Amino acid sequence: MRQALEGSQAIAQAVSRCRPEVVAAYPITPQTHIVENISKLVADGVLDTELVSVESEFSAASVILGAAAAGARAYTASSSQGILLMAEVLFNISGLRIPVVMTCANRAVSAPLSIWNDHADSMAVRDCGWIQLHCLDNQEAVDSTVQAFKIAQDTELPVMVCMDGFVLTHTLEVVDMPEQDLIDRFLPPFKFQRALDPKRPITQGALVSPDFFGEIRHSHHAAMQKSAAVIESVDADWAALTGRRCGGLLTVEGPADAETGVLALGSMCGTLLEAMETLPMDRPVKLIKLRCFRPFPEAALREATAGLRDLIVLDRAVTPGLGGTVGTEVKGTLYGTDPGPRIHTYAVGLGGRDIPLDILPDLVATLDKPVAPFGVFDADLEKLAPEDR
Amino acid sequence: MTDTSNATRLAELRLKHGRPPASPAEPSAPPRDKDLRKSQPRFRGLEAGHRACQGCGEALATRLVMESAGPDVMIANATGCLEVFTTPWPESAWRVPWIHSLFENAAAVAAGMESAMKAKGHRTKVLAFGGDGGTYDIGFQSLSGMLERYHNVLYVCYDNEAYMNTGIQRSSSTPHAASTTTSPSGKARMGKRHLKKDLLSIIAAHHIPYAASASVAYPTDIRRKVRHAMETEGPTFIVIHSPCPLGWGHDGSVTIEVARKAVQCGLFPLVELERGEVCNVMPIRQPQPVSEYLKLQSRFRHLFNDKDPRALEERQHLQALADHNITLFNLRGDQADPMDTAGMDTVRRGGPVH
Amino acid sequence: MTHVLTRGAYALPGTSLAFKTGDWRSTEKPLHHHRKAPCHDACPAGEDQQAWLARLQEGNLEGAWLELVKANPLPAITGRVCPHPCETACNRKHMDQPIAIHNVERWLGDEAISRGWQYPVTTPSAEAPKVAVVGAGPGGLSAAYHLVRLGYRATVFEALPEIGGLLRAAIPMTRLPRSIIDAEGERLLALPGLELLLRQKLGRDVSLAELRSEFAAVVLAPGCQKSRPWDVAGAVPQHLHEGLHLLKEWIDHGWLPEARRVVVHGGGNTAVDLCRIMKRNGAEEVHLLTASGLPGPDTDPDDVLNVVPRELEEALEEGIQIHPHVTINRLIMKGSVFTGVEMVSLRKLPGQDGRKRRIPFEGTERLLHCDMVVPSIGEIVDPEGIEEILGQHKYLHPKDDTCELGDHPGVYVLGDARGDRGTVAAAIGDGRMAALTIQRRINGAEPLPPDTREVATFDKLNIEYFDRTERAPLRKLPVAERNDESEIELDLTGPEAAAEARRCMSCGNCLACDNCWTLCPDNAVIKTVEMASDGTHYVFDYDFCKGCGLCSAECPCGFIDMVPEDTVLPAATT
Repeated sequence: MRQALEGSQAIAQAVSRCRPEVVAAYPITPQTHIVENISKLVADGVLDTELVSVESEFSAASVILGAAAAGARAYTASSSQGILLMAEVLFNISGLRIPVVMTCANRAVSAPLSIWNDHADSMAVRDCGWIQLHCLDNQEAVDSTVQAFKIAQDTELPVMVCMDGFVLTHTLEVVDMPEQDLIDRFLPPFKFQRALDPKRPITQGALVSPDFFGEIRHSHHAAMQKSAAVIESVDADWAALTGRRCGGLLTVEGPADAETGVLALGSMCGTLLEAMETLPMDRPVKLIKLRCFRPFPEAALREATAGLRDLIVLDRAVTPGLGGTVGTEVKGTLYGTDPGPRIHTYAVGLGGRDIPLDILPDLVATLDKPVAPFGVFDADLEKLAPEDR
Repeated sequence: MTDTSNATRLAELRLKHGRPPASPAEPSAPPRDKDLRKSQPRFRGLEAGHRACQGCGEALATRLVMESAGPDVMIANATGCLEVFTTPWPESAWRVPWIHSLFENAAAVAAGMESAMKAKGHRTKVLAFGGDGGTYDIGFQSLSGMLERYHNVLYVCYDNEAYMNTGIQRSSSTPHAASTTTSPSGKARMGKRHLKKDLLSIIAAHHIPYAASASVAYPTDIRRKVRHAMETEGPTFIVIHSPCPLGWGHDGSVTIEVARKAVQCGLFPLVELERGEVCNVMPIRQPQPVSEYLKLQSRFRHLFNDKDPRALEERQHLQALADHNITLFNLRGDQADPMDTAGMDTVRRGGPVH
Repeated sequence: MTHVLTRGAYALPGTSLAFKTGDWRSTEKPLHHHRKAPCHDACPAGEDQQAWLARLQEGNLEGAWLELVKANPLPAITGRVCPHPCETACNRKHMDQPIAIHNVERWLGDEAISRGWQYPVTTPSAEAPKVAVVGAGPGGLSAAYHLVRLGYRATVFEALPEIGGLLRAAIPMTRLPRSIIDAEGERLLALPGLELLLRQKLGRDVSLAELRSEFAAVVLAPGCQKSRPWDVAGAVPQHLHEGLHLLKEWIDHGWLPEARRVVVHGGGNTAVDLCRIMKRNGAEEVHLLTASGLPGPDTDPDDVLNVVPRELEEALEEGIQIHPHVTINRLIMKGSVFTGVEMVSLRKLPGQDGRKRRIPFEGTERLLHCDMVVPSIGEIVDPEGIEEILGQHKYLHPKDDTCELGDHPGVYVLGDARGDRGTVAAAIGDGRMAALTIQRRINGAEPLPPDTREVATFDKLNIEYFDRTERAPLRKLPVAERNDESEIELDLTGPEAAAEARRCMSCGNCLACDNCWTLCPDNAVIKTVEMASDGTHYVFDYDFCKGCGLCSAECPCGFIDMVPEDTVLPAATT
């Protein structure tokens, strides 16, 4: 059913229809509306779940860890500082190979304090061993949320669905909200082979000696890599059922013969697509929409970038002292491809700064110059004291 | 059923349960040897082969808790000695579903497990185990949250009064004046400068249905308290004083003796609280001088240096703290009581009296 | 072994059993160590009080009695007349008060009589060796009983028309009702394979030589039937009545000489019994003069009056005046009439050769006026019929506890006739030892070696695990109601006996309290349904025992020792 819903409200409804048995959450802007909406669904008797209003994000993550370990479908949502407070648990959940789902309403990380959107939070925990999916709009966020539960269950890996704070969470959009029976057909009841059960009392979270630790890490990495196929097939299954795709690992939009590409993730892609459609461009440009940041889709990326002369990679976060996380990883992935594109890496839209449509022609305009070092593209250095530039 | 088949069935049952044959004609049970372990008349929640030190109070306390808690439980265990010595992969000493996540989140993980049980309509009781570091200090917030949210979880704190797993560093549970590797005694300091945190009072302020302190020196009392907590719906909390021979500096053979003295001198009062109010205490038959407890342990050795006037002062300080407990909880018994510190551990043929 | 890594590195339950922490033991391991309980060690009859108290604790009354009669067939009797060294030795005295073992024994003996419990004895075969027992006192009866228990036949020769010996002849009814002697005696005499021949006096009706030729062994339990000669510097009053004789006269015929003020000279049970009888029968003053001391902190235990303690207490209650540490220096005469004694204080002191002798102290002489003096200084063996083995001795002296008479193979001497015994319990114990020795000799084996196990002293116990408890009260007839017939001491009640049994701390032996099982941090103590080979319900699993020693420290009974690794279990002893 098509409905005009605020992003958070849509996520809450989608989560609700996935029948989570335990939801734990702690409020943080801009994730709050998701939790509030879930709480309301519970209060109204629409959603029958154990809603645990924890005393911190640390406990939110811990509660869903415990709940899923005990065999329950579990969900949480957070943002920014909350994600960082959870960080230790996030690593732990994935190391234990416990399937849970979390929405990350992406927000900048303090200090200075900013409650507005960028990707610093999810990028900061990129090594935590979770699958990370980014969403272009609220429809994708809804669909990805449903898919995430399926992926988690099939891979025994936790899934983080990243959606831009405010830009998506607080925006009213028309969304085709999948009906309950459709989701029930798509998503079987939660089943976890290694669940804690007095009938089969296993020990989870053992101490592992150096003799085995490397192998355990290898298996986690291998599981992440194998999950790429699952992510694609789940998206395909969803498309078969609903006619809507979320973009598998990544998708390419725009003229196939374009020699200029822009790679971005999240709602930025919507801005870039509109720019491509509405603004006059002095050359053809195609958009590589990276949906799956973890596992990093190396093969798909090499395929998507074949034939490109220039590739602009837009990060919405900074790794101080290095540059952009995505940009760096794209460079690494394409290293040695011949002929590889010239790779231009920039950060844009930090701390909630608006990304205007004409950022695309501005970016393309730089391609005639030699490749510049990484920079915050939309930063006005005049605002800084000379010694701080 | 005919008489013959009854007799046959009975003989089979006797054989199966290792009873001597009713008549010489019946086959007798095969020699038991090591299989004796499988027929222990108690639940073996914590199995042998764990790697605790000799005379470990925590291992003992845990075993006792498991025996009373029984098989229909699942456990969230904080990081610490207990977690490390019971689960070096691929071995586990546990015979119940058990999970270790992190140091500070045992209560929250347990809350999640309990929520899962509630969601599924299962009655399996969830337990959370932590040491004093994971309870008094780093895990305190998640513990408080779990209690406040009224999860049906029994949290057991094995209190050995320092970070033993990392090498005997002081915690907020370390007693005043005890020497640890981060509160060593020396020319300028007499061990820990601060007091032992009064955790039970903080727990009491949550007004949970049941909270208690216990000691490995009184296994019957532990059993009773665990059973009571198991039967109580809602959050319950038990802190068990569990001497650490290595960290406290005493021989493994006197673990019980040390624990007993701590109770009998008043430094570790055994009390029970319901809804935050004291509802029962174990009276002390004859309060022992604190020095009788201190002198058994090398962590207090610096308090027995006759040449140092601070030693006597700190000893008197600890005595005053013990006396304060005795007054505060009205621990001095009016008369000999079978449930007091001298009567509670009385044994007779066939087991403990109580 | 290569392990296949599980997803998330989970482990399977109880797999720690693969890791044998027993390797961690460095020097010592725990071992069960049976020690002798002090009560057992002190018991002349060889009873294992701990064992029968244990059955009582279980509520198994008949089992308790059967355990008791393994050593002592006459508990209702000893439960009345024994000076109960078991209680004196009981470790409870260091905590509160000794267990009233004596009274519980009596209660159990009385239960057996009233419920008709029978000895567990099977009929000896007709070919079983036959042993002659001379004397049907407690020692002779005990020997006959144990011989039958061991599968032999026994023929008892008694000079008198009744059995009982000293029990009947010298113990007042107020201490030992005759019905008790009859009940336990009849039960014993009904044993299969036991033959009693009354009015058969050795030397008169049958000779030792005959017995030695016709029986596999001869047990002599004749007691001491002859008074020690008594005089004061060669003087003896007219119409002297000797103590034991007087007591027998009174018991048999109810006759006592009349006297207002009586002095009894001596220091045993006979002397005290006589004092009390004289007092009850009209004597205004009865004085006991004894060279020994009264029990007290200043008295050397070897020097205490050899009287059942509670008998002494009752005598004092009844107004007997006791003069300790004195002897009679001379008799005071008025012409030929005896009017009193001069007594003098003395002490047993070591002389130059180290041996103790009695030293009277000059200047302590004082007079005691009286009408009669009764010597009661003990008895010696009647030589009739045993002259060849007695020689010039006052007693027969077997070499040791085996009761074997060294130079006369096949002859065993027990009880008072040995000269080194003085109680019914000792005679009963001798009877058992003689029977055991006879069995081994018949089988061509050496006698049992003495039980050299260590005694479980109080310091071996962990008394934290025992609470203070009141000893059962002993009820007695009030002094005013005491007569010559009624038993003065009254029986315990069943609940009192049971409560008393529960006070037993099982010194040196397993109490089955579960402490080791409960307190082992390593699950290395295993509880068994059936008894393990060392008679306990617990087994150390050395595969996992780390050797911390907690079980040993917390064993209430001192039953677990930490011993060097290579120590093996000592052979179990009974």
